[in-house]
Amino acid sequence: MFILTLIPIVMVISYSVMDNVIVNKSPEFVGFDNYIEVLTDRVFYTAVGNTLFFTGVSVVAHLVLGLSFAMLLNTRLLGTMTKALFRVVYILPWLFTVAIIAVLWRLMLSPNGIVNYLLISGGLIDTGVEWLSSRDTALPAVTFINIWAGYPFYMISLLAGLQGIPRDLYEAATVDGANSFKQFLNVTLPQLKPIIIAMAMLDVIWTTQQFALIWMTTGGGPINVTEMLSTYTYKLAFSRYEFSVASASAVIILLFSMVLSFFYVRHQKSRD
Amino acid sequence: MMLVAGCSGSADDATTDTTSGDEDVTLEFAQWWEPELPDGSLRGLMDEFEAANPGITVELLSGPYASTKEQVVAGSAAGTMSDVVGLDGAWVSDFAKQGSLADLSTLMSDAGYDESQLASQIQIDGSTYMIPVVNFVYPMFTNSDLLTQAGVAAPPTNRTEFAAAAEAISALDETTAGWVLPLSLEAPNGIQNDVMSWVWSSGGSMLKDGQPDLTNDDVTSAVEYIKGLWDAGVVAPGALTMKEQDKVEEFTNGRVGMMIDSLAHINLIRENNPDLNFGISALPAEDGFEGERGIPYASWGIGVAENSEHQAEAWKLVDFLMSEKTNAELSSVAFAFPGNTTAVPDFVEEDELFKTAFDIYQSGFPANEFTGLPVAEQLMRLFDEQFQLMLEGDQSVDEMLAKTQEAWLAEF
Amino acid sequence: MRTTKQKKLLAQKIGIIFPLLLGALFAGFPVFWMLVSSFKSNSEIFEYPPRIITENFSFDAYATILGDPVKVRFFINSYVVSLSVTMLTLIVAILAAYAFSRYEFRFKNPLNMIIVSVQAVPPITLLIPYFGLMVTLRLYNTYWALILTYMVFTLPYAIIMMTGYFNTLPKELDEAVKLDGGNAITALWRVLVPISIPGIVSIGIYTFMIAWNEYLFALTLTRTEDMRTVPIGIQLLMGQHSYEWNEMMAMSILGCIPVLLLFLFFQRYFIGGLTGGSVKG
Repeated sequence: MFILTLIPIVMVISYSVMDNVIVNKSPEFVGFDNYIEVLTDRVFYTAVGNTLFFTGVSVVAHLVLGLSFAMLLNTRLLGTMTKALFRVVYILPWLFTVAIIAVLWRLMLSPNGIVNYLLISGGLIDTGVEWLSSRDTALPAVTFINIWAGYPFYMISLLAGLQGIPRDLYEAATVDGANSFKQFLNVTLPQLKPIIIAMAMLDVIWTTQQFALIWMTTGGGPINVTEMLSTYTYKLAFSRYEFSVASASAVIILLFSMVLSFFYVRHQKSRD
Repeated sequence: MMLVAGCSGSADDATTDTTSGDEDVTLEFAQWWEPELPDGSLRGLMDEFEAANPGITVELLSGPYASTKEQVVAGSAAGTMSDVVGLDGAWVSDFAKQGSLADLSTLMSDAGYDESQLASQIQIDGSTYMIPVVNFVYPMFTNSDLLTQAGVAAPPTNRTEFAAAAEAISALDETTAGWVLPLSLEAPNGIQNDVMSWVWSSGGSMLKDGQPDLTNDDVTSAVEYIKGLWDAGVVAPGALTMKEQDKVEEFTNGRVGMMIDSLAHINLIRENNPDLNFGISALPAEDGFEGERGIPYASWGIGVAENSEHQAEAWKLVDFLMSEKTNAELSSVAFAFPGNTTAVPDFVEEDELFKTAFDIYQSGFPANEFTGLPVAEQLMRLFDEQFQLMLEGDQSVDEMLAKTQEAWLAEF
Repeated sequence: MRTTKQKKLLAQKIGIIFPLLLGALFAGFPVFWMLVSSFKSNSEIFEYPPRIITENFSFDAYATILGDPVKVRFFINSYVVSLSVTMLTLIVAILAAYAFSRYEFRFKNPLNMIIVSVQAVPPITLLIPYFGLMVTLRLYNTYWALILTYMVFTLPYAIIMMTGYFNTLPKELDEAVKLDGGNAITALWRVLVPISIPGIVSIGIYTFMIAWNEYLFALTLTRTEDMRTVPIGIQLLMGQHSYEWNEMMAMSILGCIPVLLLFLFFQRYFIGGLTGGSVKG
C-alpha cells in the first residue's frame, strides 16, 4: 500500500525536473527550469489567489454548516423518526458524483434556470443573473456549489463525534450552572477539537484539489476568474501536454500541503 | 523504486492481450462513437467486418467523448494504446508528435490502397496520421417562426442582414435572443465552430503559410463584427461558460433565433421539440462576398497506434470503415457526411433538410483550420480567454488579436 | 408553572425545527430538482418558466436504464468495488489508527506527515504514473486496480479520522482491559472498536462514497464495459453533441437509493452510540 502511494509520487517528482516527459521520448534533466516556468507565470498566481478564496470560504462554511446541522440533528427535543428523516435529507448532497452535481447546478444556475426564476418571481432580482458566466458571480457561485456538496462530510463525522462525548460532562456543566451556549463552548467544542482539526486539515487539502467540479461548471472561466491550481495543472498536462511543468506545479502544491501537515503533526505531538 | 526498475522490462509485453497465434488477432478499437450512435449500429458494422475477415475480432472500447483524449494520452504513455483509435482533428498533431500514431501513408502504400477515394487526410509533416471517417458540417440553423414574428422574410445571407435579423428577434421579448454563442473554456470548440466560422465563410483564413495570422483583415473584421453583435445585446445570456450542448437546448426551446450548429443535431432537435419549425442555410458571409464559402466541420477521424502489433490488420479495419458501402452506412446512422468521396448516405435522398445541407456542403468547401494544428485545443482556449476579455470591454479587438497572435506563436 | 415549561419546550422545538427546515431546503432542493427533471423529457428540462410537473411526465428514463444490461452491470461493478474498498479500508485503518493513537514508535511523525501530505498531490498528475503502474502489475482493467487505487485515497483519511476518534477516548479504558489481563488486541476489538462504532460507520460511509463517486481513475484504469462504474455510465450519457439529461438524472437517483438505504440502516448506530459513548471515563 505504502509503495503504491510512493512510487507515483516519486515519478511525479522526477518528471518535474525533466524536459517535457511523455511527449518527448528521451527526456533530459533540466533541473528547476520547470519550477521557474510555473513560478513566473502570472496565471499561476491568479490560480493561487482563487484557490485560497475557494478553499478558505469552503472550509469555513463546511465547518459552520456541518457543526450547526450536526448540533441540530443531535437534539433530544425531536422524535427519532423526525431526526432520521432530516438526517437523510441532510446527507443528500453527498450521494452524487461530481459530474452530476456540476450538471445539476449548471442547469439550476443557467440564465433561464430555476434559481433565476424563483428569485425573479420572489422579486429579489429584476433580470436573470448569469451566475456562472459573469465575472462577479462565477467564483462565489462555484464556491457555493462546493459548500453544498461538501458539508455532509463534516456533519456526519461531527454527528458521530457528538455521540462519543460522555454525557456526564454535560451534567457536570449543568450543575456548575452553565447555559447551553457555555456548554457548547466549554464541553462540546473542546471534545470535538481533535476531529475538527483533522477534518479541517483534510478538507483544506481536498478543496485545493477540487478539479472536476470547477472544470465541469466553468472550465476555469469566464476569462480566468475561477482558475484554480487544479485546473491550471490540468490544462498544462492535457491541453498543452506540458507534463513536466504540470508535475512541477503538482510538486509545488505538494510542498504547500507538507507545510500544513507538518503543523498538524506538531499539533498531534503537543497534545500528547 | 525497486519495483519500477524490476518490472519496467515487462511493460512491453503487456501492451495488447491478443492471443499469440498466427491467425487469430483481436483488434481493440477505442472510440467515443458507439454511445453517440443508435444502439448496436457500430457493433453491427464490426460484425460485418469480422465476417469478411475471418481470424480478426474487433473489441470495441467506448468512452465518453470528453475523456477520450486523456485516455489516449495515458494509453500512449504506458504503451497500451488500442490498435485503432477514434480521433478528433484537434488532437492529431499532438499525438503524432508524441509518436503514438502510426504513419498511415506507409500503411496505405503497403496495402496498395487507392487514396483517391478519400475526401481528406490529415497530414503532419507530409505523412498522414488521421483519416476523417465522417464529417459533421456546421451550417446556420434558423428558427422560422421567430424569423417570421420578427418580420424577417428569409434567413440572412450576409452580415448586415444577420445583425438586423438578430436585433429584430432579440427585440421580440425578454427571453428571446437573436444568436447564441458558446464560449466555455472547458470545451473551447465554440471558437472553432461559432467564431472562426465567420472568417472561413467569407473565404478568410487565420493562418499564413502554416503560421498564425490573426491580425489580418479577415479575422479582424469577423471579430469586430461579433463584438458588435455582443454590444448590441443580441447574444443569449450565459455565453461565457456555455457549451455546445447548452446551445442546442436553447435553440430547441425556441429561445434563440439563429445558431451555427452541427447537422448531427437535426434529429435531436426534431425529437426533443417536434413543433419547432426550423431551417438551415449557409453561414452568412461578408456583404458582397461572391466566392466559395467555407463551412466549418468536425470529424470523427481514425488512426492506428504506433505500438500496435497488428498494424496491417488495423489498416484493414480502417479500409473497411472507409469503403463506399460501410462509409455510407456509418454516415447514415451518424447523420454526417461521408469521408469517402463516392459514398452517399441515405438521408440525403430522403430528407429535405439534409438535402439542403448536402447542397450547401457541395457548393462550399469544408473549412477547419484547427485540424492538424499543434495543441489545437489550447489554441482555441488561448483565443477564447482573450476573446472573453475583449467582449467584456477590457481590451480592444486589435489588442486582443495581437495578444492572441503572440500567445499562438509561442505554441507553434 | 407547568404550562410555562411546556411553552418553553414548544418554543425550543420551534427554534430547532425552523432552522432544520431551512437547512433541509438548502440541502434537498437541488436533489428534488434532479428528481423532478428525471421525469421530464430532455427539452422540458430547459423550459422557461420551469415547471415541476410537465406534460411528458414519465418513467421512461428509468426504464431505459434498468432495461439495459450494460448499465445494470455498471451498478454491480460500483457495488463490488465500493464495498470491498470500504471493508479493507476500515480494517487497515482501525489497526493503523490504534498504533498511532496508543503507541510511540520510531518514524511515527514522519510517517504521519507522509500519510497526510501524499493526499495533496493533484490526482490528475498521478494519473499517468498510476496507469503505468497498474499495467506493469497486470492489474489494469480489474477490480483490484480500482480497489487498491481507491484505498490509497481513502486510507489516509480513514487513519487520520480513526486516530482522532481513538484520541477522544481516554487511555484508561484500554489500561483497564490490560489490568484485567487482556492484551492490546482485546483492548482494541472489545473496547475501543465497539465504542467507536459511530465513528467507524461515518468513516465507512465516507469511504464508500469516495469509491462510489470516483470518476477519473475509474475511467483510466478500466477499459471494457464490464468493468466500468456508475460515474462513467453517467458520463457516457454526456455525448459529444448532446446530453441525455433525464437519463443522467435518473441514473444518479437510482445510484443514490441503495446508498440511502444503507445509510438508513446504519444510522441507528449513531443513536446506539449515545449509550455507548457514556461509558465512564
